[in-house]
Amino acid sequence: MSTPVEGSTPVSTGAQTPSGLKTLALPENASTHGPRIDALLGWSHRIEAGLAAIALGWMLIAVWRFRGAKRAASDGGTKRSIAFVLGLALSTFLIVDGTLLVGSEGYLRDVLWNLQVPAEDPRTVRIEINAHQWSWEARYAGEDGRFNTPDDVVTWNDLRVPAGVPVWVQLVSTDVVHGFSLPHFRVKVDAIPGRVNQTWFQAAREGTWEVACYQHCGTSHYRMRGELRALSSEAYAAWLREAGRQALQAYDADDVAAHWGWDWRTP
Amino acid sequence: MSVDHKQVARRYLWSGLGFLLLGGLLALLIRWQWAWPGQPVPGLAWALPESRGALTPPTYTSVFTMHGLVMIFFAVTPLLFGALGHFVLPLAIGARGLAFPRLSTLGFWVYALGGALVLVSFGVRLGPANAGWTAYPPLSTTAFTPGLGQTLVTVAVLCAGVSAFTYGLNFVVTVARCRAPGMTWGRLPLTVWGLFFASVLNVLFVPVLAAATVLLLMDRLLGTQFFIAGAAAVGGGGDPVVYQHLFWLFGHPEVYILILPAWGMVGDMVSFFSRKPAHGYRLTAGAMGVVSALSGLVYAHHLFTSGMSPMLGRTFMVLTLLISLPAEVMFLNWLMTLWRGSVRLTSPMLAALSTVVVFGLGGITGLALGAVATDVPLHGTLWVVGHFHLTMGAASFLGVFAGLYFWFPKMFGRQLHEGLAKAHVVSSAVLFLGVFGGQLAAGYAGQLRRLYDPYQYTYLKHLLPLNQWTTACAFLLGAAQGLFVVNLVWTLWRGRVADANPWQVGTLEWTCAASPPSDENFERIPVVLRGPHALSQPEVLEQLGRDWVGQAEALPAEAPAISGPQPLLERTS
Ligand SMILES: [Cu+2]
Repeated sequence: MSTPVEGSTPVSTGAQTPSGLKTLALPENASTHGPRIDALLGWSHRIEAGLAAIALGWMLIAVWRFRGAKRAASDGGTKRSIAFVLGLALSTFLIVDGTLLVGSEGYLRDVLWNLQVPAEDPRTVRIEINAHQWSWEARYAGEDGRFNTPDDVVTWNDLRVPAGVPVWVQLVSTDVVHGFSLPHFRVKVDAIPGRVNQTWFQAAREGTWEVACYQHCGTSHYRMRGELRALSSEAYAAWLREAGRQALQAYDADDVAAHWGWDWRTP
Repeated sequence: MSVDHKQVARRYLWSGLGFLLLGGLLALLIRWQWAWPGQPVPGLAWALPESRGALTPPTYTSVFTMHGLVMIFFAVTPLLFGALGHFVLPLAIGARGLAFPRLSTLGFWVYALGGALVLVSFGVRLGPANAGWTAYPPLSTTAFTPGLGQTLVTVAVLCAGVSAFTYGLNFVVTVARCRAPGMTWGRLPLTVWGLFFASVLNVLFVPVLAAATVLLLMDRLLGTQFFIAGAAAVGGGGDPVVYQHLFWLFGHPEVYILILPAWGMVGDMVSFFSRKPAHGYRLTAGAMGVVSALSGLVYAHHLFTSGMSPMLGRTFMVLTLLISLPAEVMFLNWLMTLWRGSVRLTSPMLAALSTVVVFGLGGITGLALGAVATDVPLHGTLWVVGHFHLTMGAASFLGVFAGLYFWFPKMFGRQLHEGLAKAHVVSSAVLFLGVFGGQLAAGYAGQLRRLYDPYQYTYLKHLLPLNQWTTACAFLLGAAQGLFVVNLVWTLWRGRVADANPWQVGTLEWTCAASPPSDENFERIPVVLRGPHALSQPEVLEQLGRDWVGQAEALPAEAPAISGPQPLLERTS
């Protein structure tokens, strides 16, 4: 079941930036779609910060200027001031929520929910993941391209993908709800017993990053950590070939626990 | 046993404050663990002798589970509704009591039973609940959490739910049926509007929580499999996601259940202490209604990563973003109320303005969680934790203290020390921003919630200094609560007797009832003549020489429409 591990590359920590700045930054991006989602997040946070500053400033000015004022207005708002509130609320809403909605919708249509992209790309790598308390078990179809056959490559907490091609993940859980996440790829989806969920991503470059579980899944939840290696296409192909050969040798038809794969679900 | 609503309120106050202390101490343990992972906690060796006082992974999971449960079900909700709601609501609408006084006493004892079960659960083998406050199955079923503690706590949550349902129903009926003559819907204080809408939400959505917990209890105790699927299910198997839908269909409105009473109080206090009528009163009340109406339609944004259909995802994204529109209207109305007022920074006002600040930041940081694409990277991180702690934690907490500082003289007939109260409010508000701001930053940098040791992940190692800084703020925040405790003890022991109307406002509890009010609340039921914010009216200034007039007080030139009783003027001026 286990596969040989080559000289392991150190996990990226995004060590390029000084530590103070890093604290307030998103995890370093490693996916081709990351910049798009990061830009949307950045925009949304800039707008939020601006709004917060304006509202807080307004409040402080009002308190400072009218503190203990001799006379207070006696009305609960005029038609004009109420129209002002409604107009301001509506325009803020349209700008702020509108930006988020349009940006989010574009990303969903083009990437997150567009499984046509990996489906149509002949280079796409398919991975089936089975989440356990407390590890990630991954299954590759092997040379024959079909899941649940003797040449399936199975790894534990060790995902390998070629850089620059779509990676299509389908996942379940054997026990409790887990959360599969690749923070550096902006990928997150629940692994739930009894249903197959899916997502896809594409590594922008070679390197090693971490797989994290973000749903509380029991005592050792915090140790449910895996590694994802983005390799060159050649290195990936070589690894899969060798691992598949070893899997065939080690294949045990009676090992019931090893047969958890499913026929790949089409969208 | 007294069934007086004021007595019930005091019982909720003391037990709510007790659980607030417990929940706060549990929070400090979580913070300790993230600043000094695995290091012994000073003074905890008696409770955890095997680890010499250090948190172990199982203890830690219990600690964060119980922190969430205790704060939501046994501290903040009981303080807002149980204490302030029970006390203020009948007085503010001119009623002799609640519509069903015995029901409210029963509700308290059901809550107390739940609270007792929570305390007992700390003493049982395998410890209290540890499946997270959301208790997602299958983790929360006996297959993965076999301890008795999880069962006891699930029953405790059900008890808290039953109690919340009873006072919700009681408040709705009381507001609808027991208002004094002349107290039209358009004259209700905003506090009452907030409590009313939140009570409607209680009546509608707490039964959904009851459904989820009862089904979960059946899975735990009777061997049913509503929420168990796949390999863990012996028979046909159920679906864990059904629980998530039920839980959040309650859980999201619960956010508004907690914040609506605070919003109402802020609306009133900003008006009272700007000495001018609330700007856009009808609009504010209407906006609270719209938020309440939408609150049940946005819940599935908690499930954006559960693999739900894109059709549902889009719908819930749009609905979730939509809810920010009425919230903005209400927020702007508060700011407009301050404008051209005569602002008095009393302790309730400082607490109300702090609520505005922390709620504003909490609301704004939630926008990115309402849209699917931006939610995905932030989902399950401390960004979410910081966001909801600002709204449900800091804003509700400061709302509770705004109310407590405001109505304390009415509850106990004594006046808390203003200086201590102000110091408490301002230091709490600043430190809340430190703690939850630190969480937002850590979450943005990717730190996941609920990790016993976040530094197992290489990409989170650099967050240790940030977490230590946040922890320092949290401990200071805990210490700042000493200011309240000292003030409370000293005032109750030998505090100054309060003026009849220390804040110079016109609502019924201040102008028509004694401090503390008699069993009957009012000597005679007041006849209400005007809205709650009659401040700085030119004719009042001219005729009475003060800037406020009681809701039931007839001006000399104003012949009372109904020949009603005279308000107790001699007590108020
Ligand atoms: Cu997990």
